[in-house]
Amino acid sequence: MGDFNDFKTRLKIAKEKITNLDNKNNTENSSFLGNAFKLGTELVSAVLVGTIIGFILDSWFDTKPWLIIIFFFLGSIAGILNIIKAAKRMQQKD
Amino acid sequence: MAGNNPMHQFEVHKIGPEIKIAGVDLSFTNASLFMVLSALAICLVLFLGTKEKRLIPNKMQLISELFYNFIAKMISDTAGSKAKPYFPFIFSLFMFVLFCNMLGMLPYSFTVTSHIIVTLLMAIFIFIAVTIIGFIKHGFGYLKLFVPSGVPIVLLPLITVIEIISYLSRPVSLSVRLFANMMAGHTMLKVFGGFVISLGVIGGWLPLSFSVALTGLEILVAFLQAYVFAILTCIYLNDALNLHH
Repeated sequence: MGDFNDFKTRLKIAKEKITNLDNKNNTENSSFLGNAFKLGTELVSAVLVGTIIGFILDSWFDTKPWLIIIFFFLGSIAGILNIIKAAKRMQQKD
Repeated sequence: MAGNNPMHQFEVHKIGPEIKIAGVDLSFTNASLFMVLSALAICLVLFLGTKEKRLIPNKMQLISELFYNFIAKMISDTAGSKAKPYFPFIFSLFMFVLFCNMLGMLPYSFTVTSHIIVTLLMAIFIFIAVTIIGFIKHGFGYLKLFVPSGVPIVLLPLITVIEIISYLSRPVSLSVRLFANMMAGHTMLKVFGGFVISLGVIGGWLPLSFSVALTGLEILVAFLQAYVFAILTCIYLNDALNLHH
């Protein structure tokens, strides 16, 4: 019975080592690089979407240049908001 | 001339006869061929990996277990235990994007994910699915996503519009990121390959070494983009499942 308990503790220590190893190497490296790729398009896409919405609303209401200008700036703000959200998410993980 | 054009590799052409159903062109193209090939490759890898369930895994089993663990861990880390039922979807999404990207790295092959229509369709599907899941789980309370707490009443309409634009920008950023990275990388590879030919034996070694390095980088990007695509799906799913604002 003593042998069995000894084996159990050894197994537990080995398992802990494996999980620690996994956490350090695999996920962190790839998530750093993933984050780096993520940020650029977050900003651009919101500006793009804002401008497109402005363009569509302009052609609906016949207010040619105004809504596209307003929504361009709203889109820029939304892009910055996206970046802030992504940055907050990154900090939470660490 | 076609061989020198770096954009030639992205051209879609028909394979076999033209098929038209109700005025819609449904012909089998090289894009569809590579989608089928990547789906078959995924099935093959997972079939060989799970054929013999050994305690000490062989190489194929190791690969498929690695994929499984990677995605399972990613889902539980980013979206929590509530997202477990969506594992098959995210797993197939990740595998499909990964295999499309990786098959595109082979010479003379076609990169499906370098076409925005493919990535945009996947992103829009994810976007609509996540929105529906959010509404099913929280009812109209899901609209709280657009109204952050602690905002003065005066600013509320402005903030709501900004939040809606930010929400609508998700599928665009998801699809443009994958498409732009794949297309830019493959164009760059082709351009450097063209330099090797035009500079000849004497001057061609420098672009050739660049080309080798870029191929390595592109393989990394191919993996990372699949990873980012899957992890962002998890993050959006997390927003829909665990509403906290």
